[in-house]
Amino acid sequence: MDGQLLEPTLYTVKGMAILDNDGNRILAKYYDKNVFPTSKEQKAFEKNLFNKTHRANAEIIMLDGLTCVYRSNVDLFFYVMGSSHENELILMSVLNCLYDSVSQILRKNVEKRAVLDSLDIVMLAMDEICDGGIILDADASSVVQRVALRTDDIPLGEQTVAQVLQSAKEQLKWSLLK
Amino acid sequence: MNAFKRDKKEEEDGGGNPFQNLEKTTVLQEARTFNDTPVNPRKCAHILTKILYLLNQGEQLGTMEATEAFFAMTKLFQSRDVVLRRLVYLGIKELSSLAEDVIIVTSSLTKDMTGKEDLYRAAAIRALCTITDGGMLAAIERYMKQAIVDRSPAVSSAALVSSLHLTNVSGDVARRWANEAQEALNSNNVMVQYHALGVLYQARKSDKHAVIKLVAKLTKTSPKSPYAACMLIRIACKLLEDVGEAMGLLSFIESCLRQKSEMVVYEAAHALVNLGRSGAREIGPAISVLQLFCVSPKPALRFAAVRTLNKVAMTHPAAVTACNLDLENLITDSNRSIATLAITTLLKTGAESSVDR
Repeated sequence: MDGQLLEPTLYTVKGMAILDNDGNRILAKYYDKNVFPTSKEQKAFEKNLFNKTHRANAEIIMLDGLTCVYRSNVDLFFYVMGSSHENELILMSVLNCLYDSVSQILRKNVEKRAVLDSLDIVMLAMDEICDGGIILDADASSVVQRVALRTDDIPLGEQTVAQVLQSAKEQLKWSLLK
Repeated sequence: MNAFKRDKKEEEDGGGNPFQNLEKTTVLQEARTFNDTPVNPRKCAHILTKILYLLNQGEQLGTMEATEAFFAMTKLFQSRDVVLRRLVYLGIKELSSLAEDVIIVTSSLTKDMTGKEDLYRAAAIRALCTITDGGMLAAIERYMKQAIVDRSPAVSSAALVSSLHLTNVSGDVARRWANEAQEALNSNNVMVQYHALGVLYQARKSDKHAVIKLVAKLTKTSPKSPYAACMLIRIACKLLEDVGEAMGLLSFIESCLRQKSEMVVYEAAHALVNLGRSGAREIGPAISVLQLFCVSPKPALRFAAVRTLNKVAMTHPAAVTACNLDLENLITDSNRSIATLAITTLLKTGAESSVDR
């Protein structure tokens, strides 16, 4: 029975992935060197995972000794992997954060094309959610705040007063320098 | 015909993926643009994204190539563009294990982590700690201690998480910074509280009495952060194996069954049924909670519940019998993992009377 008790550690997440609708990797990150050490093994796992999940919209699956939670939209699949003993609801909270952050970054336009257009910001967001297997932040709005969207990309109405002031300041500075 | 089909497919993909068919050598050539002054942030950010994308796709870089790209990237510190700077941090982390002489960026990162811009500071700390070795640790120790107790949650969390990673570099990092972590534990931010508990446990886990003290203090006022509460439950379980029930640990875990957060409730139920010592009476409340989860609309919750019940059924089949009706409903669940687990559980607990249904 001892094996069932969870080791108290912050290293919770084994991996995160965003795949397209052919099961190809858009972004993926594995945090445990003992789980799929080479990219060949990782991709084989992703293919397998995709085949098992792309039709059934079932949210959770056990595969290769990992608990994988997932969510899809249009042509994108989001996955979060953890050990098979991990608390599924913690993994779920990470998945929701990943999905919601991407959704906010892309302004609800969650599809492959949009992700590729903002790939840099999505990479930064993934980096803010999980650091080396430890959940860094699980609140989507705080993640989005931390990745520093380019202010000129946000329509004026959605900017905070501080952001507007900041960009005004910068513009003034540049016009003076010219 | 075949070629036509392929073209059409690419068209459907929306005019082609801008990152498709990237050539490693071409991209690395493009990286020479980083040396231009003044830096063009948009262009450089795009090239850097391409490099990061290639690495993410599993492209292998040789030491020479990686080092060259790394040094070109360090030139980008001249730019003040936020996104570009953040991508540079990411690049440093990705290339730190491949390139040589990565400590060259130490001073730039130290400057950023002590600077004014909060958005830089947290990310700079995390990048700095990935290139830190035993020798450098002493040099950054002072800044790290300050960062742990910083009022910005992002900075504090970054420093705490990084100090856990640094345990690989030097085993006693967590112990040396325990005082600061103790202070961070009082933070109102749920993540800071969680990370601080992780560092404190790491610092004290070899000293049973210190762990007892830590747990005794925390169990009195349950942590606000659900993540920290889950961690505390796990620590309490581990402690129970050593010291027994003297400290009221069991009643703490039981009280977590009445928490608001489902995450904590499940963690507590899972812990209670898996503590080898519990008899049928102790696991009763946990089983009722899991039974409630069985009818949740959330698949993850149903899965968690039935997976746990499946394990309990091996040791206490009688206690699980109460859930048989709910389990029978799960046999037809749209998630096959849940259905399979429900069937195998019923095989252990079911009686002849239920075979007909």
